[in-house]
Amino acid sequence: MFFLYNMERRVTLHPSYFGKNMHELVTGKLLKDVEGTCTGSYYIISIMDTFDISEGRILPGNGLAEFTVRYRAVVWRPFKGETIDAVVVSVNVHGFFAEAGPLRIFVSSYLIPSDIKWDPNATPPAFSDGDETRIEVGTHTRIKLMGIRAEVGELWAIGSIKEDYLGALEQES
Amino acid sequence: MSGPRDHEVDSDEEEDFNPAPADMSDDEGQNGDNDEEEAPRRKASPGHTRNGADDDEDDEEEEDDQDDVNARNDDDDEEDEDEEEEDEIQGHRRKRRKDRRNAFFDIEAEVDDEDEGEDDEEGAEDQEGFIEHGDPEEADFAARDDERIHQDLDRRRQQDADFDAERMARELQQRHAHRRRAPGMGETGAVPQRLLLPSVDDPSIWGVRCKEGKEREVIFSIMKRVQEKMGTKDELGITAAFERGGPNSVMKGLIYVEAQRQTDILQALEGMLNVYPRTKLLLVDIKEMPDLLRVQKTPTLEPGSWVRLKRPNKYAGDLAQVLDVTENGLEARVRYIPRLDYGMRDEHPGAMTADGKRKRPVTGARPPQKLFSEVEARKRHPRYITGNPNTNVWQYNGDEFEQGFLVKDIKIQLLVVKDVNPTLEEVTKFASGGDDGVENIDLKSLAASLKDSSTNVTYLPGDVIEVYEGEQKGVVGRATNVQGDIVTMDVTEGDLAGQTIEVPTKGLRKRFKTGDHVKVIGGSRYRDEVGMVVSISEDRVTLLTDQTTTEIIVFSKDLREASDLGGQGALGQYEMLDLVQLDPTTVGCIVKLDRESMVVLDQNGDTRQVMPSQIANKLPRRKLAVAADRNGSEIRPDDVVKEYGGMSRQGKIVHIHRTYVFCHTNATNENAGIFVCKVSNVSTISAKGGRVTSSIASGPDLNSMNPMKKLNPNAKGDMPPPKATFGRDRLVGQTVTIKKGGWKGLLGRVKETTDTHARVELHTKSKIINVPKADLVVRDGVSGREIKNYENRRPGGFLGPRPGSDRPNPEWNGGSRTPMTNASSRTPAWKTPTQGPNGGRTPAWSRAGGDGGRTPAWAGADGSRTVNPYDGNRTAYGGAGSRTPAWSSGAKTPAPDSFGHGSKTPAYGGGVSDAWGSGSKTPYGASAPTPTANGGDSWSGYTPGASGGSHAYDAPTPGMLGAPTPGLNYTAPTPAAMNAPTPSAQWQGGWGADAPTPAAGVSQLSALASSFSVGPGSKVS
Repeated sequence: MFFLYNMERRVTLHPSYFGKNMHELVTGKLLKDVEGTCTGSYYIISIMDTFDISEGRILPGNGLAEFTVRYRAVVWRPFKGETIDAVVVSVNVHGFFAEAGPLRIFVSSYLIPSDIKWDPNATPPAFSDGDETRIEVGTHTRIKLMGIRAEVGELWAIGSIKEDYLGALEQES
Repeated sequence: MSGPRDHEVDSDEEEDFNPAPADMSDDEGQNGDNDEEEAPRRKASPGHTRNGADDDEDDEEEEDDQDDVNARNDDDDEEDEDEEEEDEIQGHRRKRRKDRRNAFFDIEAEVDDEDEGEDDEEGAEDQEGFIEHGDPEEADFAARDDERIHQDLDRRRQQDADFDAERMARELQQRHAHRRRAPGMGETGAVPQRLLLPSVDDPSIWGVRCKEGKEREVIFSIMKRVQEKMGTKDELGITAAFERGGPNSVMKGLIYVEAQRQTDILQALEGMLNVYPRTKLLLVDIKEMPDLLRVQKTPTLEPGSWVRLKRPNKYAGDLAQVLDVTENGLEARVRYIPRLDYGMRDEHPGAMTADGKRKRPVTGARPPQKLFSEVEARKRHPRYITGNPNTNVWQYNGDEFEQGFLVKDIKIQLLVVKDVNPTLEEVTKFASGGDDGVENIDLKSLAASLKDSSTNVTYLPGDVIEVYEGEQKGVVGRATNVQGDIVTMDVTEGDLAGQTIEVPTKGLRKRFKTGDHVKVIGGSRYRDEVGMVVSISEDRVTLLTDQTTTEIIVFSKDLREASDLGGQGALGQYEMLDLVQLDPTTVGCIVKLDRESMVVLDQNGDTRQVMPSQIANKLPRRKLAVAADRNGSEIRPDDVVKEYGGMSRQGKIVHIHRTYVFCHTNATNENAGIFVCKVSNVSTISAKGGRVTSSIASGPDLNSMNPMKKLNPNAKGDMPPPKATFGRDRLVGQTVTIKKGGWKGLLGRVKETTDTHARVELHTKSKIINVPKADLVVRDGVSGREIKNYENRRPGGFLGPRPGSDRPNPEWNGGSRTPMTNASSRTPAWKTPTQGPNGGRTPAWSRAGGDGGRTPAWAGADGSRTVNPYDGNRTAYGGAGSRTPAWSSGAKTPAPDSFGHGSKTPAYGGGVSDAWGSGSKTPYGASAPTPTANGGDSWSGYTPGASGGSHAYDAPTPGMLGAPTPGLNYTAPTPAAMNAPTPSAQWQGGWGADAPTPAAGVSQLSALASSFSVGPGSKVS
């Protein structure tokens, strides 16, 4: 789910940047440092604006200036139980991996309806129910998140398609 | 079946037939019917048998049958009912009765044609109703029925045989227990518990010694005797007997008998085996009586579970697997791995020592655990071994070996049943003895044996648990407290939600949900793996591990909810990504840690699984390790490098060992993202090929983001230094003398110049020679006087022209009319030699000119004369302030300087940027704040010259400042001087007076400048 979120971050600036455009530099550095990163439970998708940049404080020892910047950002946090659409990126006998934006989701074969079976002979390998449902690399799927785990710099999740209205989406190409 | 029994048969059998009438009482009248009807039949039957006394055989068979069936009848009322249902096909009640009886008694007899015939002959009439063969109508039916019933019986017998005794017993117990409970419960429900306690009026209980291990047998025989004597005149006076034996009981070797008088006991136990009533009987205190009957949970051994041996000493502590438990529950048949030395240690069996005693067996290290080997055994003891190679069952030295395991009946008290905690290694040994290796591990039995031992430790407050056994089955809650075997839980689901209940751990299991993040604890071989639950079936949980993204199945009891960021633990002193020495030439980086082993990626890029014992030592992480990459740049741990060629992997250096780097990349999961490279095969990832400093502060490229550059957006990078030769060299056409070399002292005129040299046409001789510019002294063409400091002669007061102006060299462009020459010819300062140097030229200039430090400094610093003239030019410009001195200093000076210092480093850039900084201030801003150390160095190396230069500019500065003020004073006069030739003397005097003051001197210069601007043209003429 997407949120607009007010956050705060300390940005340090090298002395050589001190000057009248310091705030621009601070903002630029903030964008560079923060945008697109994952902080524990959510991804920071985009920074809307910075609405408060504190006065700089010189850090003793190295002369860097530290600014406390408060900014507003669009963040995306996947929730357990949330249903999201994702694109399959790899398929193996244990299940398949899908990606929803930056989030990697693993759908175990236990969490795939029993009629959709692993078909190793197909090229490319796929999960298939022998009819029109095929889950292969590139398939768009609708997945319910069963669990989410945070790693350093990324999130990843396991999902299920073992419920109504989940699974491969019809490709309207 | 002897005679006397035959006589007794009536009553006895009557009793036997329904030994527990009370039990049967809930059977409806039908049963009673049966009895009644059977009674006359029985009365007849013995009569009949007695009549036919000749055929004892028949009789016996009958009896046997009867016994059998009776026994079964006791057991199987279900079967009765079955029969009845079958019988109902025949519809006729009486006949059914008969058939039933047939089934009981006469099947064998009927099969036996002879007997049957006899029966028919002899008893057809008077036995009417017993076997109705007389009725010809029904004969067919009967024959068919008999056949069927006969088969039925056979089938049932077969079934009975199939039933093992245990199951039979269990069924029996269940049924009877159930029956007895109902009335019993009703009674106790009404009477308070304490009133049920024994009092003095109740019979006493005595403990009677018996043979250890035979307690149960004794009780059984007492029971039998009681039954036998029941109803007779010598009925036993005892009211109860029980035993509390068992492997771990303190009451073993005793049975307890309840009776009013001691003599009753003696009487009852008279002549019974294994019990010793003649020894002292122990009277049990009334208070202790209830304790005697307290139920104690005895550990149950199930086939397949694991135990440890206490004795024999050789096997103490060894793991064994229970194959079977004997019926009395005292011994267990276990199998374990033998420790055999196959007679390697004893020289002669039964050898005697010198003092005649049997030699004690050599004590020492016990032989290792090894499966029995027939070959080994045959080597030394061919005689002691018997067995069958096909079944792989052997007897050797009195022990039995199956499939290599030693199989033995061992008393349960010699087994450790609790807290066995078999490790996977031990269990694997057993499994590998099986046909298909590891597959043979029975996870269920392992779980069973682990259950008792570790359940209480595995529950921790906060665990979500579920009751799966007992009355509270299905209750789910969260554990709040664990004390011993009792878990206090807050119920969260179901009817009891909100309550706090206490439950024993026995019926508990942990409950997880799909998607939970869990860690494997406990005895599984996946211990310490962390993963997410994918599916759950009963108590088996499938989870997807974080490390390897593989699916593993473990018991829920071995799981705990993990924090979201679970890290792989350490194995002993080793941790993930440690660098370890495998052998003197091989090192490796740990990429996976298991419970007992680890996977190491060695320097050759191979992974191997090693045990901690195979590791020579752990190499400490050297933060300061440095190596050179393929470009020669230095690389250190934590640098980001990219593999050159190959897979072009890019990663952060974890370790540098000799010529190998171990890098970590996030791009792949293989080997935990670690790959190894030769140092010479990686290149540093960096924009400039320089070293990436690890400090975040200096990490960004300062040049690209330097705000100073942004302040001056028009400046496009480094402007090249001004062309060395633009315009005409002022030297050309000048009269010079040569001050060095073979032509020293000669006068000449400069014809043309290069950067460094001048071609001088000698006056003395019609010859043009090439002389370094530095060796020339410029002289006044008219007076022949030396013009000192020629290069720097363009003074600060020379404000006007800009480099881009039309007259870049106004001084010389003017030719003869240049202010200098003009001035010199015109002004007294130049004309009067005494005052000239000091007066005509400002002290500043003289100082600058006389400042020996300046020129040599430049010369020394530059090492080349080439630059010098420019330097002069530049400084002159700088003095003029028209051109930014920054250009001159920034563009030129650092370059030669840094060359002179021989370090071509990014510092150069720093120097340049600094030049920018300094540009705004002083031309030679050596003291200007320089952010980079290198820049500072280059500048500091420059400092003497620079400072000299700055001195040089110090001089003009006051001039510049001073110029306006005096200049104003003279602004008016100057044109006057120009225009009015006469009062030259006055002027001269004026000048002469003013000349000594520096201000005047300077103002003169500015006057010159202004005169320039005013009307140079007139001056020329």
